[in-house]
Amino acid sequence: MDSARSTPGMDDHAVAITRVAETQWHAVEDDLTVGRGYTSRRPDGRMFLSIDAWHGAAFDRLADAMLADLPKPLYTVIDEADLDSAVKWKRSGFTTRRREWEYLVPTDPQITGLGSALPPAGVTIVAVGRAEKGPLLALDRVIRDEVEATVGWREMPAEVPPHPDGVTTTDPSEYAVAAQAGEYVGLLRVTTVSRRPRCRRIRLIAIRSDRRRRGIARALLAHVLGSMHRCGIETAWADVNESNEAAVALFEGVGARRASSNLELVLR
Amino acid sequence: MARTSEGIEVEGTVVECLRNATFRVELENGHRVLAHISGKIRRNYIKILPYDRVLVELSPYDLTRGRILFRYRT
Repeated sequence: MDSARSTPGMDDHAVAITRVAETQWHAVEDDLTVGRGYTSRRPDGRMFLSIDAWHGAAFDRLADAMLADLPKPLYTVIDEADLDSAVKWKRSGFTTRRREWEYLVPTDPQITGLGSALPPAGVTIVAVGRAEKGPLLALDRVIRDEVEATVGWREMPAEVPPHPDGVTTTDPSEYAVAAQAGEYVGLLRVTTVSRRPRCRRIRLIAIRSDRRRRGIARALLAHVLGSMHRCGIETAWADVNESNEAAVALFEGVGARRASSNLELVLR
Repeated sequence: MARTSEGIEVEGTVVECLRNATFRVELENGHRVLAHISGKIRRNYIKILPYDRVLVELSPYDLTRGRILFRYRT
């Protein structure tokens, strides 16, 4: 890749843009790299961009070069608090597609109100690490098929990536499940932050579509948060798509508070 | 500290998460800089927390500012 563009005379910056690899662009000014742009493709096929630049002119020229070379739609992710980045991307034509809230979720039943939350009749909760792999894989496949057939993985939190067809890797040690009539009907995946042994992230809560609106998700959450509280863990993290009203209601109903947000931007 | 055509890169420790998606990072030489996170880290949803060890590229225009390029696992 050797395409290059030089744009002297604009904003007193003579920045040369070079596509140095299939997925990488450089902005050079006075023999100094003043910006870099990258692309990567998500498992769902969407192309995401990122640009790091030391000044606005380098950002704009990198964006111009990348957008000229790449097929649309294109996506990027920014921290909503990063107003400077938001302005730059929107200047290049990107608009907000979705917002994902990061919640801090209390575990204390006195705060969550989940101390008396029991599973619906006939439903039992299997503790984290006790699920059987076969039924868990079967449930995971059912839920993935339902997501793909309905809202699609584009509407799921970014930390819940789709798996390539036929490949489902599920570690039972990370899951609590809800069982009913001999089969698993709901799951909650929770992981430890490797460098923070006392931090937990709730990665996914999902209930089979034909078993929803019965309190199963709330019972799973009550069980997992209660276990954390007994281990001395005061809060967990969870990412929730703002448009997922049921998930927002579930977490805010137990006293979770919004800590930050990411915006997914799109250029169509 | 390494000086490359890409800029000055130095390791440090995150000491504070600030508003506007920036972090205060204490470098190995004791200096503190304000750093934001690179687009690649953001795109990959890598969380930066206090006490994280990170690799920072310093701005060629202002050595009190930088960009977090990498978060070490330990």
